[in-house]
Order: sequence, then C-alpha cells, then structure tokens
Amino acid sequence: MGSKLDVIIAGGGRVGFETATILDDRGHDVTVVERDQARADAVSDEYVATVISGDASNPSILEQAGVEDADAIAGLTGLAGLNLAVCMEAKDMAPDIRTVARIDTRAKESYTRFVDQVLFPELAGARTAANEIIGSDVETLADLTGTLDIMQIRVAEGAPAAGRQLSEIRFPAGTLVVSDDDGDRIARPDTTLDAGKRYVVAVEPDVADEVMNLMRG
Amino acid sequence: MIGMGAMIGAGIFVLTGLAAEIAGPAAILVFALNGVVTAFTGLSYAELAASIPKSGGGYAFVREVFADLPSYLMGWMLWFAYMIAGALYALGFAPNFLELLHVYGIVPPPEAVGAISLPVVDAALPATFLLAFLAVLGLVSLNAVSTAASGSLETVFTIVKVSILVVFVAFGATAPMFSTAEFQPLFPAEGGALAILPAMGLTFIAFEGYDLITTVTEEVENPRENIPKAIFVSLAATVVVYLAVVTVAVGTLGAQGLAEAGEAGIAQAATSFMPTGLPIIQNGGAIIVFGAVFSTLTALNAVVIASSRVAFSMGREGQLLPSFGQIHHRYGTPFVAIVASAVVMLGSVVLPTQSAGNMSSLFFLLSFIVVNGSVIKLRRERPDMNRPYEMPFYPAPPVIGIVLNLVLTLVLVEFLVRTDPLALALSAAWIGLGVVTYFGLNRLRTEPDAAEGTAAGDEQVPLEDD
Repeated sequence: MGSKLDVIIAGGGRVGFETATILDDRGHDVTVVERDQARADAVSDEYVATVISGDASNPSILEQAGVEDADAIAGLTGLAGLNLAVCMEAKDMAPDIRTVARIDTRAKESYTRFVDQVLFPELAGARTAANEIIGSDVETLADLTGTLDIMQIRVAEGAPAAGRQLSEIRFPAGTLVVSDDDGDRIARPDTTLDAGKRYVVAVEPDVADEVMNLMRG
Repeated sequence: MIGMGAMIGAGIFVLTGLAAEIAGPAAILVFALNGVVTAFTGLSYAELAASIPKSGGGYAFVREVFADLPSYLMGWMLWFAYMIAGALYALGFAPNFLELLHVYGIVPPPEAVGAISLPVVDAALPATFLLAFLAVLGLVSLNAVSTAASGSLETVFTIVKVSILVVFVAFGATAPMFSTAEFQPLFPAEGGALAILPAMGLTFIAFEGYDLITTVTEEVENPRENIPKAIFVSLAATVVVYLAVVTVAVGTLGAQGLAEAGEAGIAQAATSFMPTGLPIIQNGGAIIVFGAVFSTLTALNAVVIASSRVAFSMGREGQLLPSFGQIHHRYGTPFVAIVASAVVMLGSVVLPTQSAGNMSSLFFLLSFIVVNGSVIKLRRERPDMNRPYEMPFYPAPPVIGIVLNLVLTLVLVEFLVRTDPLALALSAAWIGLGVVTYFGLNRLRTEPDAAEGTAAGDEQVPLEDD
C-alpha cells in the first residue's frame, strides 16, 4: 500500500459522490459502483472516478471494480444492510482490504465486529446543522462553508518535506501550514516538519494532491 | 492543444527529409497512411480516456487493466519512447538552428560546419551534437526547477507553428517550382510501393500526440464530449497540415533534395522558394527555419514534460523507486523523474537522428498495440463499466489497430535488422533492463515488507517501498 490508494465506493449518491470527489482531489484512485444508470452517468460526467454500473453486492460487479487490488472499500449507499453486505463480501474476496460502512443508527459498536470502520453521516450533518442554527461567529473545523479543507496531516517517513524547514519547502499556492507539531504553536518559517508528527494544514482542493505528495510521499 | 503541439511540432520538420530518403515522393502517402493507422488507436484512446478519469496517458490505462509486469513494461516503454523522442527533437533542432544562423550568414551552410573544438576538454565535438546536448540541458533545467514555464504556453506555441506552416504551404504552392513539380516516379526504384512501409514505421512517432493529450485529461471539462473531440480534431488537423507541408516540400525541393537535406529538409525547401531581400528578416525562408527551430524546441519541451510524467506516475504506483513519484520540496516539480529522463535523453543525443526516430517509433508502436489490447481486455473483464464514450463498430477498431500496428512493428524491426542493428540492440537492451529493474525493485520491496508485518492504520500507513 503506497501513499496513493485504490478505493472502491459502493453507491454514487450524495455521500458516495462527495467522498469520491474528495479522495480524487487528494490524488487517490477511485472506482464508484452505482446501480442506477442515470446516476452512474452523472458521476461519470464529473470525471472523478471510474464508474461501474451495477449492484455492488453482486460478486462479479465487485470483481469488475477490482476488489482484489483495492486498498479500501466503502459501502456508502443509503441502505445500511447493503453496505455491510458489500463490505463483508469484499473482505471475503480480499482479506487485506480496509472496509468502511455507512450505517443508519448511532449504535456504532455493534457493527465494528464486521467492518473496520463505520460512519453515520446524519450525525455529522446534524452537528453542522446545530452549529448553523446557533449561528456562532466561531466555527469548528468541520463546518467550513467553502471548499477549503483544513486537515491534520501526519508527515510520513521519507516524504519530500520530511525533516525540512517550512522556508525550504515550496508548497503550492493555496496551502497554509497552520500549526507547529502537536498543535501547540502557530507554524513559523523555521518550523521543521518532522516525520511522524501531525500538522494542521489548510489547503484548497485543487492543490490537495500536491500537498499530500509533499507531506506523505 | 498540447497533443497537437507535439504532433505538428517536430515530426514534420525533422522527419520529412528522412521519409523522403526512404520512400521518395511517396513520403506524402506515408504520412497519410500513418494517419489512418493511428485513427484506430485514436478510438481506443478516446474510449479509455473518457471512462478512466486519470491523467497519465497510456500507462495509466494499461495499469488499470493489466497485471503488474505488463503495465510496468508499458510504462517503461512509453517512458523510453518519450525520452528518445526528446533526443530526436534535440537532434532535429541542431541542424535547423545552424540553418537559421546560415540564413543570416553567421555560419557557413550546415554541412560545412564541422566540429567545434572545446578548449577545456581538448576534444572536438560535432556542432550538431553539442547543440542538441545544450538544448536538452536547457529545457530540462527549466522544467526541473519550475512548473510555471511548462505547459501553459503550449497553445500559443501551437498557433505560431501552424501559422508558420500555413505561410510555408501558401508560398510553396504558388512558387514556380511547384507548378512544374515532378511526383513521378511516385515510388522509389528499389523496393517499389513496399518501400513506404519502413518509412511509415520511422515517421510513426509523429503521431505520438494522443498519448500526450490523455496525459493531461484531468484538466478537461466535460470529458465525455471533449476528450474524443480533442483526439480526433488534433488527428485530423495534424494529417491535413502534414499532407500539405509534405506535398509542398516534395514539390519544390524534390524528394532527392529533401532526402539530402535530411533533418533540415523543410527549412531548406523554404529557403529555396521564399522571397529574399525582405527588410529586417532579409529572407523569407528564415521564418520557416525559425519555425523549425521553434517547433523542435517546443516539442522537446513537451516530451520532457511527458516523459517525466510517465516516470512520475510509475513512481506513484510504486513501479519505480518511490522517489520518482515525489514532488521536490523546494522546486515543486517531479524533480527525480525529470532528471532521470534527462540522463537518458542526453545519452541518446549521440545517436543518429534516424536511429532515434526508429527507436521512438518502435516503442510507440508497441505501446499502441498494448493500448488497443487493453480496450478489448477491459470490455471483456468489466462489461458493466460506465463508458461515457464508446467507440463505434467494436471490436473492429482495436483489432484492426493491433493488426496494423503489429505489421508496422514487424516491418520496422525487419528494416532495423537490415539497416540499423544498433537501434534494435539498444531497444532490446532497454526492455531487458526494464525486466531486470522490475524484479530488482520487487525484491527490494518485499524484504522490508516482511519485517514490518501488518501495521495498518488510518493515516499511518508506512510506505512499503522504503
């Protein structure tokens, strides 16, 4: 598994498509499996992922999506049962694959026996909604209104930027390294990006790929 | 535009003379037929590029379809094809540059410029070699330290080139020499009509531009329509421009004259019929010669970018050392990939132009075969994949594409056996080196992996390759 991941997303709806877009921005290879032909065409037009039209729970469709060589699979359709089935099938076909399933209850724990990670998008959405309703002037990281991403990135061993001072590194325009390692201080030109440490970085989606390359190798 | 820039670029200036040498006036047919052959591959490229949203060109598509070794070899071949193309353009640049200086009377005619002695190393080097070397070095350094200069100017460059060629055709077609032009005998005495086959092989490189187009597809909007359009429009435009230019060149200078002028064929043809005594530029031919110099340089620039992109993709896929797939922390460019490409390019400017053309064409032919094959394989293995653009009459086009490319490959190999065993040996050596590197890298990769165990985590996946 290199720094560039090969990811399968089952479900090209809102959650699946947005996830695919973000992963594509960060330079990963994405394959979307979508049952609805019209929806599949729409995803194709956005040109962020290879699209397979078909039912992701069908093993031959999963094979066509390249499950054998994929690093991760995410079941992101609106049906929790289908998502779990897809993940478990994939695990059976490719034991090393990382699985993520979208569920529809808050009871995360009961699912983690079967998949590596679960997510409940409605909870994240509700958090955002609550923040918006209160209308606070101060917003947390997750609630950015634009397309800007604020991420915490761990510098990989051997990445181009590892061990270099910020002043030495040419990050693409549209990048801002915000914090010193461990988030105690604001980054300065002489801040060193140490391998294994985490830094808060703000990036525009267009250059996320390049920033990932510099920090993750 | 970038694809067309490279296609119209240097092939026309550099290779016309060489094609005329092999095929005589039938050089016209050579370019036309090559256009036809590549059209089938163009369909394959269009389908792949529209359905696989990855930049990286043929290599990325083949990587999607084939197992490790075949896709690795594909990247390896394509990388080489671009690097050798770079050498070819550099070699084409040199005599044209000398011709430009000659037009202004700075140096004697190209053939009279012997060797420039280097005071430092106390050795004499051919001037053309030195110029080619410097051209590569200059453009590589430019691309290695900055991304700004590369790519964005391509459109302007292409327009300039096409306008220059239009001027050339316009003047040439109305020149008195052209009206009395002699296209007979169409085919050379020895070999007859079959003689055009090796010439087709040699000039095939001129159509490499597809791959270039598809290496930059990520920036394209509405790919379903625009990628196929870009591929076919640039193909059609290239063929039309080529035919017009070659016809005029053969018509004015004659196949014999073209062949003698070699890499500077077009430039000399232009000097012969363009008006002289104009103010400032003195000589109408200078425009064309300038065009040739300009085109070879911009094409060189394009393949420097293209070759480093292939190496960069391979590095990111873990098929070359990971450092190939990394952006330099200070320059913001795929520095290692560019430098590695440069080393091979610089090494290969010692080759004769024709060998460089042959080798590059050979590798493009081979990789086009694989690309056509991957369309078929993909259709069979992934019937349910969404294909925003589907080629008509499948499976005829890729099959025809494979057969035609294969025929040209065989003819070219046979031709090389007879005339240029060095190029053939070098090509075989490169593939052999590729296989050795592949297994070497694999061994390198598996050893640290075994020690590491299975440390899988969300963000903390260790690089397997270091």
